[in-house]
Amino acid sequence: MTTEAWWASPSLWRKSAIWITGGSFVMLIFLTFDTMSYIQAGGKQVPGYSIINQRVDYQFDEAKNRYVPVIGPEEPLFGKKLTEAEAAALVSKGKLNTQAKNCMECHTLLGNGAYYAPDLTKAWLDPSWGSKEVREQQMVEFLMNPQDRLHNGIGRRMPNLGITEEEARATVAFLKWMSAINTLGFPHNFKAIDQSDAPASAAAPAQP
Amino acid sequence: MTALGVFDSANLNGGQKLAMKYFAVSLALFGAQVLFGVLAGLQYLFPDFLYGVIDFSVNRTLHVNALVVWLLYGFIGGTYWMLEDEADHKVVGLGLGNLIFWVLTLAVVVVVLVYLLVQVGPAEMKSIWLINEGREYIEAPRWADIGIVVAVLVFFFNVVATFAKGRYTGIGGVLVMDLLALAGLYLAGMFYTPNVSVDQFWWWWVIHLWVEATWEVLVGCIMAYMLIVTLGVRRRIVETWLYIEVALMFGSGILGLGHHYFWIGTPQYWLTIGGFFSALEPVPLVAMVVHAVFDSGVHRLKNSNHPALAWTIAQAAGNFFGAGVWGFMHTLPQINLYTHGTQWSASHGHLAFFGAYSTAVIAFFYLAAQKSRGNVWMSGNLAGGWKWKWSMAFLWMGMIGMTMALLIAGYEQSQIERAIEGSSWVGYFTAQAHPWFVQAMKWRQISGYLFSLGYVLLVWDLFTIGKRETRPIAELHAPSAQPA
Amino acid sequence: MIEPVALADFFTVFFTAALVILCGGLYALLFAYARVKDTPRLMPLAYLSYAGLAVSALVLAHAAHLFDSAFWTLVVGLMLAGYLVAPHGIWHLCVGTHGDEDHAAPEPESPRLV
Ligand code: HEM
Ligand code: HEM
Ligand SMILES: [Fe+2]
Repeated sequence: MTTEAWWASPSLWRKSAIWITGGSFVMLIFLTFDTMSYIQAGGKQVPGYSIINQRVDYQFDEAKNRYVPVIGPEEPLFGKKLTEAEAAALVSKGKLNTQAKNCMECHTLLGNGAYYAPDLTKAWLDPSWGSKEVREQQMVEFLMNPQDRLHNGIGRRMPNLGITEEEARATVAFLKWMSAINTLGFPHNFKAIDQSDAPASAAAPAQP
Repeated sequence: MTALGVFDSANLNGGQKLAMKYFAVSLALFGAQVLFGVLAGLQYLFPDFLYGVIDFSVNRTLHVNALVVWLLYGFIGGTYWMLEDEADHKVVGLGLGNLIFWVLTLAVVVVVLVYLLVQVGPAEMKSIWLINEGREYIEAPRWADIGIVVAVLVFFFNVVATFAKGRYTGIGGVLVMDLLALAGLYLAGMFYTPNVSVDQFWWWWVIHLWVEATWEVLVGCIMAYMLIVTLGVRRRIVETWLYIEVALMFGSGILGLGHHYFWIGTPQYWLTIGGFFSALEPVPLVAMVVHAVFDSGVHRLKNSNHPALAWTIAQAAGNFFGAGVWGFMHTLPQINLYTHGTQWSASHGHLAFFGAYSTAVIAFFYLAAQKSRGNVWMSGNLAGGWKWKWSMAFLWMGMIGMTMALLIAGYEQSQIERAIEGSSWVGYFTAQAHPWFVQAMKWRQISGYLFSLGYVLLVWDLFTIGKRETRPIAELHAPSAQPA
Repeated sequence: MIEPVALADFFTVFFTAALVILCGGLYALLFAYARVKDTPRLMPLAYLSYAGLAVSALVLAHAAHLFDSAFWTLVVGLMLAGYLVAPHGIWHLCVGTHGDEDHAAPEPESPRLV
């Protein structure tokens, strides 16, 4: 209308809005493609599912200045070595179980979810399972009958969600696989359960 | 024109009649949200309360899903409310719009009943399809997802067709593009993958790009309309500012998505991108401060709906504090490493959702209450005006109380659970048993009751405000709302 | 890449981060108010708020180890510059977009909040 400066005109700002939105979105798409190469199973930061055949550990890395997952020697889950396809099917069943039982509305996974129960990112490595030898069985039994296993002094118990043994084993596989994801140091300062063997074997740690 | 102060749908145009239905369900779901929030909060204090009957996960699912759905209902209602005025044309396909309202509402009822009665299923795809998708905020089973998409498409058709037959205003244009993006994003949450990193990557597209981008702009559109009708601000100005807002919001918010990609298996560069763009995210909020002051100084403060104006101001403040201040406090990766996934997030989530969105929808409820009673007086010395003031006071006291309590709890957790104990199970429960945390949960609960009281007053007020009022709406402006 | 905050500095980080945004808002508010009411007396207060913002940002940056890396130092610099000029820019936009209004005869218009 009258004395409007060009930089205050609706049409300039309409165009700016469109270009800025479009530009940001294109950047996001580009980054998404690149990120997928890191987070697909077997990608640069997320392991393939057959990682559950090996020992997974979590240690501080001086050079990187953060905690990183460390993959150790062969240590098949439930003592049975699986092919990549079998492992994928098992982990997938476990993941599906976490959705069907809605774990995320009490727990966090990778730090996202609800805050009524502990984070599950490194549940596989938690010292509370006692020892490496009994851990698998402990986890399965806990998942199937959590209602009579009080683990804390505040009276909060996980309810019985009707998890079958098959589902529980699959869930443990999922948790083991998840603990091997490189989450850039989250959680910080987490001290994993002791998984060392008898003194003899000092397996060279490899990184995912 | 019917009698003043009497609820009569003859006061409303077609789109507004439909909007009233959405508002009614929205208000009811707000109540459900509060109810299940109170139950979930109680379980923090008394873990055996409803244990094995309605477990925490069920209460919480209902709490956050009711939240998402009541806000969406409010937004859809708000859009239908303004549609005929904005497009200067009757809503196209109103019959279909009505039908879809009932279908959608029925679906919501069924989903809620299944959450409550079935709760969990076996580890099979059929659980995802029929019971629960198990992903926070977007738990709705797949069949309902598809229903939602269809419903949104019909809604989208109503909006686009109405604008196309009538006229496209600037607000209309932004609205249509934004709705398209909002609906499209929902699709990103509708698939199953065993890979939890990929799962969360896309899950955040839905959650973050909704609340920090598309919802902000949708509220911007609805508020822009409100400013034109309740305050008589000139359309050309409102629309220029809407564009500026879109530029700033999308410019910072889209890549601000990075602040959720710090610790989920995503590459390092997200630490820098997320940090950088979330440092920008408060900029649009600061811009709004300057502009609000400018306008209130240049023009006389006069308006025809005091409760709606009060809630609009509350929206600006709530958005600034909840999203701007609370968001920035935990957004840098250097500190988010410790606050991530603690009550810290919950503190921010409550204040931001309530401050930015609930306030906007409540403002719209008041606008609807006014018009449906024949455009009655709702300015100063309104009969029974204490109700809206006290309901607002209680809602805010409750919300601020909750936010502060959760902040203290989160602060303690970040130190003890995250930093010292390294987030182990023992560390988690050590932090939960800490006196600060326990106290905070009590204060959260007390604040929750205050909030509930505010909600009850709000409902009472909405059903009674303007009743038996004999003065007509305060005269505001001549024709400036109309020209496009 | 990043050096996490030390336990002893958590409070400092939360507090200064909140102050950065709060002072940013206050600066914007006072700045706009001083201009709109034509009270230059208030301007020093606005810049005082900005000074508060700057100090908070520097303390925050120090506690969060941002100066350890060039990138994060740049972010701090951009924030300092950005929050300083943003209210000026927005103000000009306000004047510009409202340019076709007749200020002498106040219209019944009111705060534009969104
Ligand atoms: C109205 C706008 C906003 C709303 C409604 C909102 C809501 C939320 C909610 C509900 C969460 C928790 C999600 C979960 O369940 O895990 C969250 C997380 C987060 N928000 Fe916002 N937010 C908003 C704006 C912002 C802004 C502007 C920033 C940054 C400046 C921000 C930074 C964050 C961060 C960093 C997290 C992750 C917390 C964590 O690591 O656990 N948010 N937001
Ligand atoms: C009586 C009032 C309320 C109570 C007692 C309450 C209680 C709760 C509880 C116990 C949780 C679970 C947190 C956890 O996992 O530990 C929660 C989560 C949540 N509530 Fe509320 N709430 C109330 C009102 C509200 C309101 C009004 C809003 C928003 C408008 C809201 C939004 C949320 C959100 C977004 C979450 C998820 C947070 C996250 O994951 O970070 N709540 N609420
Ligand atoms: Fe976000």
